[in-house]
Amino acid sequence: MLSTRDLVVGYDERTVLDGLDLDLPADAFTVIVGPNACGKSTLLRTMARLLNPRRGTVLLDGTAIRDLPTREVARRLGVLPQSPLVPEGVTVADLVGRGRQPYQRWWRQWSSEDGVAVEQAMTLADVADLADRPVDSLSGGQRQRVWIAMTLAQDTDALLLDEPTTFLDLAHQVEVLDLLHRLRVERGRTVVAVLHDLNQAARYADHLVAMRAGAVVAAGPPREILTADLVRDVFGLACVVVPCPVTGAPLVVPAHTGGNTAGTAAASAGVGGTDSSGAPVPDARPATGDAANPLADSYPSKGL
Amino acid sequence: MTTTHRPTGPSATASAARLPGRSLLRIGPVSLLIRRRAVLVAVALTVLLLLAMLLSLSLGTPYVAPADVLRALSGAGTPYDLVVFDLRLPRVVLAAVAGAAFGVAGTLIQSVARNPLASPDVIGITQGAGLAATVALTSGMAAVLVAPTALVGGLLAAVLLFALGARHGLAAQRFVLAGVAVAFGFRALTEVVMLTADPIDGLRAQIWLIGTLAGKGWTEAAWIAGTLLVLLPVLAWAGWALNSTALDDDTTRGVGLRPVARRIGLAGAGVVVAAMATAQVGAVDFVALVAPQVARRLVRAERPPLVCAALLGALLLVLADLAGRRLFAPTQLPAGVLTAAIGGPYLIFLLLRGRRRSS
Repeated sequence: MLSTRDLVVGYDERTVLDGLDLDLPADAFTVIVGPNACGKSTLLRTMARLLNPRRGTVLLDGTAIRDLPTREVARRLGVLPQSPLVPEGVTVADLVGRGRQPYQRWWRQWSSEDGVAVEQAMTLADVADLADRPVDSLSGGQRQRVWIAMTLAQDTDALLLDEPTTFLDLAHQVEVLDLLHRLRVERGRTVVAVLHDLNQAARYADHLVAMRAGAVVAAGPPREILTADLVRDVFGLACVVVPCPVTGAPLVVPAHTGGNTAGTAAASAGVGGTDSSGAPVPDARPATGDAANPLADSYPSKGL
Repeated sequence: MTTTHRPTGPSATASAARLPGRSLLRIGPVSLLIRRRAVLVAVALTVLLLLAMLLSLSLGTPYVAPADVLRALSGAGTPYDLVVFDLRLPRVVLAAVAGAAFGVAGTLIQSVARNPLASPDVIGITQGAGLAATVALTSGMAAVLVAPTALVGGLLAAVLLFALGARHGLAAQRFVLAGVAVAFGFRALTEVVMLTADPIDGLRAQIWLIGTLAGKGWTEAAWIAGTLLVLLPVLAWAGWALNSTALDDDTTRGVGLRPVARRIGLAGAGVVVAAMATAQVGAVDFVALVAPQVARRLVRAERPPLVCAALLGALLLVLADLAGRRLFAPTQLPAGVLTAAIGGPYLIFLLLRGRRRSS
């Protein structure tokens, strides 16, 4: 669905991506990982036509994205930038409604489809109750769900997100990732996200892309490609990869403790504790509402 | 909880979301989202504007009772026709039209600058027009040429502003910085011209720079109204496009809009209206600063509403001109002095009130 051919992208003097070829599978949750400044956000932004490549092309369903009208791209590809500016005083429904702009003109500012799409996007992202609240009065987790709702209102087949979990606490990170997982499974959307946390990437991704210094080091299902060797190659970090006690997905544990052995003991006890809540789920992804997810009951969104 | 069909599904029509506080106005194929509160505010402002204009037509020497003003306006033929039609009406209409233009210009410029303190005199348009007018007034140019010269000056300042801001896609901060630089440059040049000029000419230039409606009328009003009319399609688009100026560029591109093209369109319309209005009535531009912000607070919107800002600008300038004529009669003050006197304290009041509510 999204591919790049010989992509060269840079800022001023610096070349970030140099001749990148990549194919992202349709109807999958792709996660791009890599160390800081490896070009993963640059890649995502270029695929979302927020950055213009110096050379090469981004293909959307086989057509060069630069040959498509930006409005049409916006009906097929939604993008959530890293930390979007929250407009002062704008209500949730209003902001989500702005996701409908690719379908609107100044003389046709609203249609019943717009209303339906906004309503459904807000329900899906579980922000319908907040519809009348100003976005700048919400918590970080709520805000992030509002932004996702805005991109959902665009009603696109593909959704690109640049570090959607940054600045969120762990519970809200899981909440956002669960939402993206549902979009993939229940709505058949293609989801592409840049994530920092390798373990979350391994848990949620169908397709993992590991990058280093502007190049793709490995790409494929996390269970096949995420090994201690790969982590050492990509991040320069010695680690042990064990099966996650909850999902069975690869779990990356740094090998060196920095002398803090007491912490290691506590951590392993914690892992054992989580395991007691249920047998490991064979699927690599969390089953929503599953007892394996101890947070399921505390978030109404999980009732979906 | 959630229905399983895609948003375009046929059974989905029952649960269409409505945006808070908005209503849909359908006229044939056109559908416009209107803020209900903006309609109320616009109606109230229109009534107040008409009352203020009536008052301005009635007060003065000689005093004409409002009933007689209305009778004269209806074409009944009264002894007051000369006073109402020839002396007062042109100036009152000019005040309303110029005030509306300043309200529109301020709204557009503030939205692009993302700064409630931006106005034509912050970004240098006023100073460009001011320099040109000063040169015209102190070099003995024919009086009819002063306004066209000032217009050219204002537009030159706009070109300079766009050239300086272009490299960064007219991004908000760059736009304001470029404007401040342009404003200082032109102001310095104006002062040089002023100091080397004959004192009488310098005084005339000084009054022009404050902004006055005295001795002006239909011609000036026609120029401003004509500009607004020509730009009407752009302004109709702007009323909608202003909604997206609050979003950052990445988000704007993500929803299929072109942020730089939008800013150029909005700012372009804003500076042309500002240059024209300033060229005709001088630098009365506290109106452009205050009207959009006060209108925004009255409508309780997240950005200045175009139509309400225009109406409020008109009201403000009509009242300022009336106060300038009558407050210290027979001494007449230029309207530009009064706009600051009326608008400034009100804006401060609103800022204080807004802070108390939000804290």
